[in-house]
Amino acid sequence: MENNRQITAQQLMKKLSEAMFYVNDLKLYLDTHPEDSRALRMFDEACKNSEACREAFEKRFYPLMACSSDCDKEWEWLVGVWPSQKMA
Amino acid sequence: MFIFTKMTQIPVKINNKNPKLASYILSQYGGPDGELGASLRYLSQRFAQTDKSGIALLTDIGTEELGHLEMVGSIVTQLTKGEGARSFDRYGVGDYYIDHANGVYPSSASGVPFSAAYLQSKADPIADIMEDMAAEQKARATYDNILRMSDDPDVTNVIRFLREREVVHFQRFGELLVKLQSKIK
Ligand SMILES: [Fe+2]
Repeated sequence: MENNRQITAQQLMKKLSEAMFYVNDLKLYLDTHPEDSRALRMFDEACKNSEACREAFEKRFYPLMACSSDCDKEWEWLVGVWPSQKMA
Repeated sequence: MFIFTKMTQIPVKINNKNPKLASYILSQYGGPDGELGASLRYLSQRFAQTDKSGIALLTDIGTEELGHLEMVGSIVTQLTKGEGARSFDRYGVGDYYIDHANGVYPSSASGVPFSAAYLQSKADPIADIMEDMAAEQKARATYDNILRMSDDPDVTNVIRFLREREVVHFQRFGELLVKLQSKIK
């Protein structure tokens, strides 16, 4: 098991972007092979995994989607690395 | 509809500055074979598609290209962050600085502003998909040219990834073309 304290935003982001990449690539494949039942099962699994990775990142770091913002105090959506910026 | 997600397909993290390289890479933002043209082409052509695979593929690849546009803009920004007029001039891109300073302006490496004349939307699924396959090859060739110019590994990693995606898109459009042609027969 990874030591929770040492997981950085970069590491979790890497896991998430790999998971989302897999979803996207399978999606394009299924657009032209809609009856491939093996790919359908893989897609279902890939979506669940990518969703879990996103939630893990957002819980620990900052919202990636506006609706994941914590609205208790302030507008948390502003927090985090926007696409023009680079991760520390 | 589109919902923004605050991340890129792969992280863009460029440590060195190089306004000249930025001006070359800008061509994949708003140049003749760039990501803006790619996304506009597919997202416009899809309205005339009747085959569900065609509608879906143009929508999904068009959406991915919009994400690539964002990645290219991010590379350009990071390569020029904090660089001033004198630096741009030393790198030989003082003319870009005069017009846009550190802004990302959709134009080609040779300074031509983006134009919708780079793409077509013909309401003819075969003609459109043939154009799309050629467009993917031209985008791939432009990324090859950028790779010949770049010796910055942070940049090269991202460009290689984007290049590879064009190859995948070409493959998928080819499969769609076969499907559309078999329906005609
Ligand atoms: Fe592409």
